Amino acid sequence: MRYTVEPWSPSFGSPNQLDGSTPQTQSTAELKLDVELPVDSWRPLPARTDLAPPPVVLLVDGVRRIDAYLWIEDDDGASYPAVAASYAAGVVRCDLRRRVADVLHHRVRRGLFTAAPGATAIGEYEPQHAKGSRHEDVVKAVQPAMLALELVVSEEVRKSTVDDDDLLVTDGPLRGRHRLARTVGYIKTLETDYLCQPQAKVVTGCRPGERSPVFLTGPQWPHYSWYVRLPGRGGHPWAGMVRVQGSPDLTPQQAAALADRSTVTLPRFASTGYKDPRAPQNLVPVAGLERKLRNLLGDPRLLHRTLTKASVG
Amino acid sequence: MVSGPPVGRVLGTADATPLSFWVAVEPGAYLQLDDVVVTRRQLPDREPVTIAGVVTAVRARHEGAMFESDVFAIADGTLPAQVQEAAEITTTRVDPELYVPPTPGAPVHRAAGEVRAKALYFDRMEQPVPLGVGRDGSPVYLNFEFLNGQRGAHVSISGVSGVATKTSFATFLLYSVFRSGVLGAEAANTKALVFNVKGEDLLFLDHPNARLTESTVDDYATLGLTAEPFPDVAVYAPPRAGDPSGTPDVSSRLAGVDSFYWTLEEFCAERLLPYVFADADDERQQYTMVVHGVTAHLAKTAAPADGGVTIDGTRIGSYADLVDFVVAQLGDEDSRAFWVGSAVGLGTVNAFARRLIASKRDLARLIRGDLPTGRPHSVNTAESAQVTIVDLHNLPDRAQRFVVGVTLKTEFERKEKAGTAKPLLFVVLDELNKYAPREGSSPIKEILLDIAERGRSLGVVLIGAQQTASEVERRIVANSAIRVVGRLDPAEAGRPEYGFLPPAQRARALIAKPGTMFVNQPELPVPLVVEFPFPAWATRPAEAGPAPRATLRSLTQAADAFAVVGARPAGASLSDDDIPF
Repeated sequence: MRYTVEPWSPSFGSPNQLDGSTPQTQSTAELKLDVELPVDSWRPLPARTDLAPPPVVLLVDGVRRIDAYLWIEDDDGASYPAVAASYAAGVVRCDLRRRVADVLHHRVRRGLFTAAPGATAIGEYEPQHAKGSRHEDVVKAVQPAMLALELVVSEEVRKSTVDDDDLLVTDGPLRGRHRLARTVGYIKTLETDYLCQPQAKVVTGCRPGERSPVFLTGPQWPHYSWYVRLPGRGGHPWAGMVRVQGSPDLTPQQAAALADRSTVTLPRFASTGYKDPRAPQNLVPVAGLERKLRNLLGDPRLLHRTLTKASVG
Repeated sequence: MVSGPPVGRVLGTADATPLSFWVAVEPGAYLQLDDVVVTRRQLPDREPVTIAGVVTAVRARHEGAMFESDVFAIADGTLPAQVQEAAEITTTRVDPELYVPPTPGAPVHRAAGEVRAKALYFDRMEQPVPLGVGRDGSPVYLNFEFLNGQRGAHVSISGVSGVATKTSFATFLLYSVFRSGVLGAEAANTKALVFNVKGEDLLFLDHPNARLTESTVDDYATLGLTAEPFPDVAVYAPPRAGDPSGTPDVSSRLAGVDSFYWTLEEFCAERLLPYVFADADDERQQYTMVVHGVTAHLAKTAAPADGGVTIDGTRIGSYADLVDFVVAQLGDEDSRAFWVGSAVGLGTVNAFARRLIASKRDLARLIRGDLPTGRPHSVNTAESAQVTIVDLHNLPDRAQRFVVGVTLKTEFERKEKAGTAKPLLFVVLDELNKYAPREGSSPIKEILLDIAERGRSLGVVLIGAQQTASEVERRIVANSAIRVVGRLDPAEAGRPEYGFLPPAQRARALIAKPGTMFVNQPELPVPLVVEFPFPAWATRPAEAGPAPRATLRSLTQAADAFAVVGARPAGASLSDDDIPF
């Protein structure tokens, strides 16, 4: 009998929500496995020693926080739950040549999420429509708003960047960003088991710094995917594993090149256990960015008080 | 003037108080220790308050780093973080005097020109004496009113020997006072008395410094001074030991040195014997009574006799003779009572005799009966040059105390008789802890205390230097309006005597380089750090340039061509036998 403790802090869940040998969450997506290598010659691919990481790496992430729960009563006497939330997205630019990391761009928004028709702004919180008037529907509406803001920020930073040899890493799936050049999606939590045996075995056979071959998923939201194992304390077969996405608009060769590039780049950003509760998957620059963004969200007690005052007045 | 972009903003994460606040420094800007900054606070229905201060601490840190090892990730370009510098400001002036804190976020500007002068109270100084330049390269001034006795007097300079440049600073201060124009018409009559205790360093104040460079000349020009040696200097040295002609005992300076000594007649008439017993140790002994008895008897009975004296019919021609005579008189049962009365025990008398005999070796060359009476030999600042230097470095400890004690006593009595404070007399005395130690009492300490406490009104200004202010009589240090500190010993810096230094300056004083002094003056709540320029005069024989023409003058002046051989010195009353000129 062998036990392995998941390194993540339990409050963040498990990075690996696969069910081990019984693949119940098996994806129904159609897979194209022979994008890079023929199916029968799948093997772990080590990082290419002739490849250097890009001189500039851009990482996008967002944070959100619920500042207050509210109730809105309209003139007809109907009442709706509402959530006042602050959310922010930003880009950190790691210039590996100059060895400087700075937050390049960020946006902070505050929204009042509710299904109440004709809701008006309260303080700085602009009304945003939530689908469904149940409490959990309202709470769930915050996440897409933040993701949309991440999208805005990613597009803005892509428009303004001058380097043509950089790599943009989005925290989470690419979502609408597959049209942005030189961009990969970075998925920390493995929820869906795309691969069956024996390919899954190839993935779990990857040593730190190695990746699986590229495969294509589809037909809904098609994208290229590959697994990379980050350096860190070993443990169970999926420890330190992340899934990386590439745009489906790429040719298989471009996708493989992007996968190679991500394999030489991502491991250097991996965090260590004693500093980050989500190590090694939560990347160091992203942790720094999140800290900065959380600061920019403002003091929660102050905001709560402001909302209370505004609702009375 | 407050111009240009702000150098930072008042911090809101630390308390801002009217007397001290922190400033976050703008990216790309910097603040260093001692920089002068100014900020404004707007008030409803009132004029804005200008808060000015001096930077007393600066720090830089990574914002966004949580662990110490994050610095590597930040330096590697992996973790985003910001370097944020902050400076602690100690308020020097609030104008108008409304003690409100500056608003966090208010812009802070570097002060220059008039604003800086206002921040450091230079605008209130009617007689500013340049002290040197601050870290920002602009002049720093001393309010002369706190030096000339009007509102305060005396300077106390402390610091480690060798690196603290205490004497150089004292001479620079003198130069600045004499040459900056604060004395006005009195400059000609204001005098300085400098005791030289180490080497022949101070004997060359009138020689240009051979190492003077163009940039040093510019430094003087910044302060409104010219880089020149002291123009009017008289140097006195003790006579060479064992030399019957009384030539001054100096080795490096050959021209323009006069020897000083006291005649046996002066020794007896002016009651100088107590200064032979000027150790603090001496005062504790029983024989003080004997000392005063013998002093009184000498003053009563000694009669002048061609340089020497006659006492009770015995002709005495040297200090050694005098000592032997006194010891013989005290040893004799019959005569002892005439000298010291009958109540003194023999043991006490013998203790006195032993001490007196021991003093022969030290004082024989200073108390003379063998030199021509008409020869000028006394140190008198009123008739001497602007700066009078008394060389002590060749003298043994007891003789040094004797010279300092007697010279100060004479000068102080002269000023007392003159009755006016002006013109001033500056007295520069190194190793003050030796002459006015914290423990015990001695005649010299009494005089120094007198100067410290009454000198302000009599126009005697003491510029005292010592390695350790903690070992100097507390009342002398307490009476010094100006306190100056150079490089300090770490153990010494922790003592309460240096409480006027804020903690950051106290730490800096441990590493202060030569030429950097911390000057505390009563008007300013923070000591100012000044760098005074390299002396334009030679401070050691090796630096001495060509001798000024004036020094050659003294060769002929020393002997008055018109003096009658054997006549009484000038100022003494004429006796019937003297030729009246």
